[in-house]
Amino acid sequence: MKRRKSESLMGMAFFGPALVLLTIFLFLPMVLTLVFSFTDFFALNPKLTHFTGLENYIQIFEDEDFRQAFFNTVKFVIIIVPLQGLGALGLALLIDKVSHCKKYFKVAFFVPVVMSLAVVSTLWIQIYSPEGILNSVLGVMGISAQPFINSASQALPSIAVMSAWQGVGYQMIIFLGGIQAINPALYEAAEMDHATPWQKFRDITLPELKPLCIFVFITITIGAFRMLVQPMVMTGGGPSHSTYTVVYDIYETGTVNWEIGLASTMAIAFAFFVMILTVIQTILTRDKEEKDGNKKTKKK
Amino acid sequence: MSYVELKNICKKYKGNDKNSVTDFNLEIEEKEFIAFVGPSGCGKSTTLRMIAGFEDITSGDLLIGGSRMNETAPADRGISMVFQNYALYPHMTVEKNISYGLKNMKVPSAEIQRKVDWAVEILGLEEYRYRKPKNLSGGQRQRVALGRAIVKNQKLFLMDEPLSNLDTKLRVSMRNEISKLHRSLGSTTIYVTHDQVEAMTMADRIVIMKDGVVQQVGKPMELYEHPINKFVAGFIGSPQMNFYDVKVDGEGIVFSDGKKMKLPDAVKGKLQGYDHVVMGIRGEDIKLDSSNMEVYAECRQKAVIDNTEIMGNENNLYFQFGGITSVARVSKYEVSQVGDEIDFVFMPHKMHFFDAKTELAITADV
Amino acid sequence: MVTRKQKRNNWILTIVLLIASLFFLFPVIWMLANSFKPDAAITADMNSLRAFVPPILNGSFLENYITVLTNTNFIRYMCNTLFYAAVLIVLGVVVNGLAGYALAKIKFPFRERWLMIIMLLMIVPMETIITIHFLIVAKLGLLNTVLGYILPMIVNPFNIFLFRQVFVSLPDDVYEAAQLDRCGPLKYFFTMVLPMSKSVVATVSVFTFLNVWNDYLWPSLVFTSGDLLSAQIGLNAITSNDNTTTGQTLAVITMVTIPVIIIYSFFSKQIVEGVISTGSKEG
Repeated sequence: MKRRKSESLMGMAFFGPALVLLTIFLFLPMVLTLVFSFTDFFALNPKLTHFTGLENYIQIFEDEDFRQAFFNTVKFVIIIVPLQGLGALGLALLIDKVSHCKKYFKVAFFVPVVMSLAVVSTLWIQIYSPEGILNSVLGVMGISAQPFINSASQALPSIAVMSAWQGVGYQMIIFLGGIQAINPALYEAAEMDHATPWQKFRDITLPELKPLCIFVFITITIGAFRMLVQPMVMTGGGPSHSTYTVVYDIYETGTVNWEIGLASTMAIAFAFFVMILTVIQTILTRDKEEKDGNKKTKKK
Repeated sequence: MSYVELKNICKKYKGNDKNSVTDFNLEIEEKEFIAFVGPSGCGKSTTLRMIAGFEDITSGDLLIGGSRMNETAPADRGISMVFQNYALYPHMTVEKNISYGLKNMKVPSAEIQRKVDWAVEILGLEEYRYRKPKNLSGGQRQRVALGRAIVKNQKLFLMDEPLSNLDTKLRVSMRNEISKLHRSLGSTTIYVTHDQVEAMTMADRIVIMKDGVVQQVGKPMELYEHPINKFVAGFIGSPQMNFYDVKVDGEGIVFSDGKKMKLPDAVKGKLQGYDHVVMGIRGEDIKLDSSNMEVYAECRQKAVIDNTEIMGNENNLYFQFGGITSVARVSKYEVSQVGDEIDFVFMPHKMHFFDAKTELAITADV
Repeated sequence: MVTRKQKRNNWILTIVLLIASLFFLFPVIWMLANSFKPDAAITADMNSLRAFVPPILNGSFLENYITVLTNTNFIRYMCNTLFYAAVLIVLGVVVNGLAGYALAKIKFPFRERWLMIIMLLMIVPMETIITIHFLIVAKLGLLNTVLGYILPMIVNPFNIFLFRQVFVSLPDDVYEAAQLDRCGPLKYFFTMVLPMSKSVVATVSVFTFLNVWNDYLWPSLVFTSGDLLSAQIGLNAITSNDNTTTGQTLAVITMVTIPVIIIYSFFSKQIVEGVISTGSKEG
């Protein structure tokens, strides 16, 4: 008895420092965000705070900027997810096949991942500049100069391409890990069954990678929804709000305009959205495993 | 006075309605080598861990050196322990592993040096002194674990299946070394094993357990010759004792396949008042040689050998008799082959009888 | 067994990938090559392959770097960030490690519940509470201080979980042996658990470093001005100044990237392991 008590004291002592910090910097902010989301809390004049009920929640759906930010974000997601996800899968499959320079390829495509968003954004401002290197390369190929981040129609896709360029190596490494985890005996068995390389890919590699694909695509989606630093550094959300994202809106509403109440409402709506995606991901990937498990036991 | 005393020790885990150890009583003398033996899950390790202090004692008293230790921290019980998986500190060299506890006990460094030198020498670890555990073989790791235990000069040694991870050959030689070490250090030792051979060869006394209950405590030969019940009789000895369900009649016993065997009066006397008993006989007490055949002529039987195990020094012969596959253990000179018909006798005074219901041994003087 | 045809295809594939990797890396190559050139040369080279070749080593090729380092506080910002990273690595390993160890090995009330909560916290998007972090740090009067920057960064649910997953498979008997050797729980954690788990400690340290070094949002809020700026914020301040030339901008971002490349080249194994572990955990 005595010992069990001293053990739980020890456990709480070990967990304590983390718990204090978690409380101040995670639980408290989460609760405050929820509470503020029902108020018109204005940080520069906190005394005038009222409880406003669901007013903020109605307001954000009517707010032109927020709506545009949301559609921009969705557009960004739609561009970047296939680009980065399929790019990563393709690279991983090719690098897995190659027998020379494997290590170099893994490093080369991973380098942008370790570079910071600020560095990458600053670099690509130069690359996308009207007289920049990309336009001069296009010029050599006979294509006229493009405005890229300086035009409302091209800015968001330009940022998406850049972000995919930066992030693709990360998922490539995940896919490579997944490919290497496939039991080689499966391929040997397929070889015995006279499978062509294409059949091996379709009937073994793809099904084995399916759970990982779901995971990767949803991770990219969640990451893309959280995009903020790139437009902050490159375009300031412009031109004409074309690169203004949801998180950018939350950030500006909260820390530039000091409308904490409204920003909290946006944050809650956004967090809710992201968590739903995460839950979907968990369900999809877990279901797959359980089904696999059932199949195996049935066979026995 | 005994050095270690266990009084009515019980262990019950939360959420388990059965006791893991029930009413364990034992007194261990100083310098004694005690082995806890039994099949896995019999509670022998749990008991050891209660003595060490890694498991709470649900009820009962544990006394070491005369004082109650139930609530004492493991480090203050005056014990050292050798673990089944060695439990060496993987990032420390052999020397550091052995000296770690002494350093924490604030032993002067010259003294530590002397003790480590001594342990390394008697365990033959000189050339591995600066290696890390991952670069050692199983036997060497076990030696380091022993070294770590002996340098602390504790009076009570606990060993939890220390040899179970070693191969057979190494196990035999480590068995010898531990026995020698025990004799030269003179520390009280409690040794847990599932291997009855280890228990028989090393221990002064054996505690044999089943389902959390002590079955019998005694010297190795006592357990071998006079098992208190069928479980002990079957657990000790290899190959396992042959057990026959037999009926008792006026002449002797009747096996379940109808074969009859006459018994001398002295043996028959034990069975008075019983209809059904379990008769047990060890393989070496089934005799095939002519002199025994003559002496016990009335017990003579026939069977056909259906398998043999040639061990080199002796042979095990398997045959169907009395409703079971029986095994006889004969000398290497008595060669028989599968398919041979053999004549054999059971030595009547070597038979063990057990109550068919309680499985307790039937002894003449009861 | 590899047939001759397969061998040839493999070579073709390698060459195709090699060319692809050069195209992929062209921004980085361009950045490096032109950080050594004056703006006039950058513009002049733009239309030829020379745009991807560093200039010959004459006396002025380090000029962009020298200008940046002498005219701005950039070295200071880099040192600041190294210091923040060092402090956060130590505190992060200790705080998250202790919590992970408690969740893995010590029985205390609601342990399983806490583990669930930690796992749920891993999915909270931090961007959504950064405003409140800012308010809290402001309320504590810690804006524009090192403490204000560091405090919210120490605890990390993902690292707690990572530590817990590794610690849970540590053998219990080593802890018992250590108890007999009079090694208390805290000492056991620092002298046994951490050294036995070098790999996860390295992984967490490396990711903490990359996080701190590359972080933009939080330092841009906490550090309003002055000497405490981190490298990324300093970078932004320097490059958004109209007087900074293109060559100098490229020199700055090259210098900010050098430490992460060094870390990556030394710890690529830990980084790859960490990346794969995020995939295999869910996938």
